[in-house]
Amino acid sequence: MIDYAQRHLRFGWWSLLLFASLGLTLEALHGFKVRAYVDTSNETRRLVWTLAHAHGIGLALVHIAFGLMLRVAPDTGAGSAPAISAALVAASVLLPGGFFLGGIAFYAGDPGVGIALVPVGAASLLYAVFTIARGTTSARRRP
Amino acid sequence: MTRDRAVFLGILAVSLAAGAWLAAARGRVVPERQVTGRPIQVADSGYVSSQTCQACHPSQYASWHRSYHRTMTQVATPDTVAARFDGVLESRAGKLWASVPREAALQSSLQSPTRSRVSGDTSEAEVWAPVVMTTGSHHQQIYWYETGNSRVLGQLPVIWLTADQKWIPRRAALMAPPSAHAMPETGAWNGVCVACHTTNGRPGFDTPFGSQPIVTQTADTNAAEFGIACESCHGPAAEHAERNRSPLRRYSLHFTGVADTTIVQPQRLDPIRGSQVCGQCHSFWEFSDAQAERRANSAGLPYRPGDDLAATRLIVQPTTNLESPRIRELLAVDPGFVRDIFWSDGMVRATGREYNGLIESPCFTRATDAKRTLTCFSCHTMHKTPDDGRSLDEWADDQLAANADGNRACESCHPNSTTHSHHRPDSPGSSCYNCHMPFTTYGLLKTIRSHQISSPSVQASLDTGRPNACNLCHLDQTLAWTAGVLKEWYATPTPALDDDDRNVAASLVWLLRGDAGQRAIVAQSMGWSAAQQASGTGWMTPYLALLQKDSYDAVRYIAARSVKTLPEFHRDQLPRGHPHLLIKSDGTFDAEIVNRLVRARDNRRVIYRE
Repeated sequence: MIDYAQRHLRFGWWSLLLFASLGLTLEALHGFKVRAYVDTSNETRRLVWTLAHAHGIGLALVHIAFGLMLRVAPDTGAGSAPAISAALVAASVLLPGGFFLGGIAFYAGDPGVGIALVPVGAASLLYAVFTIARGTTSARRRP
Repeated sequence: MTRDRAVFLGILAVSLAAGAWLAAARGRVVPERQVTGRPIQVADSGYVSSQTCQACHPSQYASWHRSYHRTMTQVATPDTVAARFDGVLESRAGKLWASVPREAALQSSLQSPTRSRVSGDTSEAEVWAPVVMTTGSHHQQIYWYETGNSRVLGQLPVIWLTADQKWIPRRAALMAPPSAHAMPETGAWNGVCVACHTTNGRPGFDTPFGSQPIVTQTADTNAAEFGIACESCHGPAAEHAERNRSPLRRYSLHFTGVADTTIVQPQRLDPIRGSQVCGQCHSFWEFSDAQAERRANSAGLPYRPGDDLAATRLIVQPTTNLESPRIRELLAVDPGFVRDIFWSDGMVRATGREYNGLIESPCFTRATDAKRTLTCFSCHTMHKTPDDGRSLDEWADDQLAANADGNRACESCHPNSTTHSHHRPDSPGSSCYNCHMPFTTYGLLKTIRSHQISSPSVQASLDTGRPNACNLCHLDQTLAWTAGVLKEWYATPTPALDDDDRNVAASLVWLLRGDAGQRAIVAQSMGWSAAQQASGTGWMTPYLALLQKDSYDAVRYIAARSVKTLPEFHRDQLPRGHPHLLIKSDGTFDAEIVNRLVRARDNRRVIYRE
């Protein structure tokens, strides 16, 4: 049987490390005034890479919170854990990944085609959050 | 009420109060349509303003935002005013005020000055008027005040020189003789400036501008946007913005590379139409007839980017249409109509008319291939490109393309420029620009490069009085010397020369005998480092000192500026025995020749329509 709590704690912390490193990289690009990042012509790249960093960090924390929730209140999402887990992992890959890919090559104010992954990731995240929320509501009603 | 709830409500109340205080501290913002007393910005008739363009074109917006096109017209605020607040301008209670001479106030029908200050003698009463608009920011800034008559603006009689950080009289900033009548400037912004210093400017005059005293006219002047903004060059963008709200359409255009037909891209137009986008303002033109003028000073100019500019106005081109009925008609009213803008061979001599120079250039007229035809975009770019390593400030100075700041601009069509020049490769004499675009155009108290590509010609100098490129750098040489060099290097026939052309440095002939325009050009050259290197500087100060007594303010100003670039003058360092420079072997000047040339000076009235 898969230990989802362990899986998400592991995924969350490694993911946090990855996106914190991305944050450090972006700060370095600012610090060294790398033109490919700070030039006004690269404003779209700056925006979507910042979004990749922010969403990656945020989702990593969600994974950690979900893992802790499964440890503290295992009944809360037990029934839907596989689906929630898959949706959260998909969101963590597609949302920041889509933003990051969208900033590699872009068209003036429009990000590159990788941005198409973002709405898919957002839908996965919404599904996971909704399922968790529904689970917490059901758990509370149980005697 | 529980204690927690009371604390929560307390925090909420404090937050709301703080927010309200901050909003009030930012000042009351009056919606533009409710502004009275000055022209307003109204984005309609298919225009949407640069704020809309910014969302999808952030890079282009950023470079435009740094450009002097944007700041050509601004609402006057402490942030947009370049001048010091030193008695001419004052900032009080969130408004800017300027002291307007009583005479100017009367002339401009200043009806309701909000404040007046009267000194002991009532005859010295000053009128203080609200300053509401500015023009320019790069070299000079002009200030406009409310007249109290509809949206008609009056102009402060002084302007701010950005580089010098000082005020000078407005009249002194123009190339005009002291005897010239002061131009009536009240209403000039509404009737003239609005056409090119805003985007889709509409004067909104009730009766034809200039047909009667300005005090009896009213103007509901407005523009889509102040300054030369995106839609000045790309055309009205409402349809473009609306249709491109769809990401499917945008990405379809990105992937296919198909041109978007809902917007004009000047560089995709043919060379003539593309350059006409710039030419709508950077040309010397006139209304085709009185009816067109009347329409324009009510509803604005009908030209839109991509149109044929010549279809709605008359581009003045002396080489082709000097004898046209319309030009004859205009010349009958104003004999200086052509002379004040062009040299006698039809080359433009006043700045801001670069399109007229372009369409007379051989690189334009003789081109057979659109891709190799000279256009404005051959050298200039309105948006700094990603491969351009310069800062936005550097780029904004002339908006030159990354590869156009040197010989590369010409070498794509004209290789081997180094051997062709007969000058050291790293010297100013090997610069294509210096020989083929010399500083023979005047405006804004300086000379700028001619935008009509030409080759140095002694014959042209003799025929028109226009200094040639060789003698603008080799200021110590005669026309005969130049003719000899051109004959040796390029087999150019030597024209007939008189004694002065053979024996006196050409620069001195123009400086002493030339008209005010020629004197200004030579004065500026004496401050040019390339000319100083080629000609030496020890002899220049006395001649520039002579020009500092010139009757033209502009000539005096340029001469004074050039003197400041020279080493301190010591009489004993004059190059002795230099007859071309009219310096005798004993170190004294040949006063006889100097006086003869000054007596023969061309004292014709010179007024440049800058």
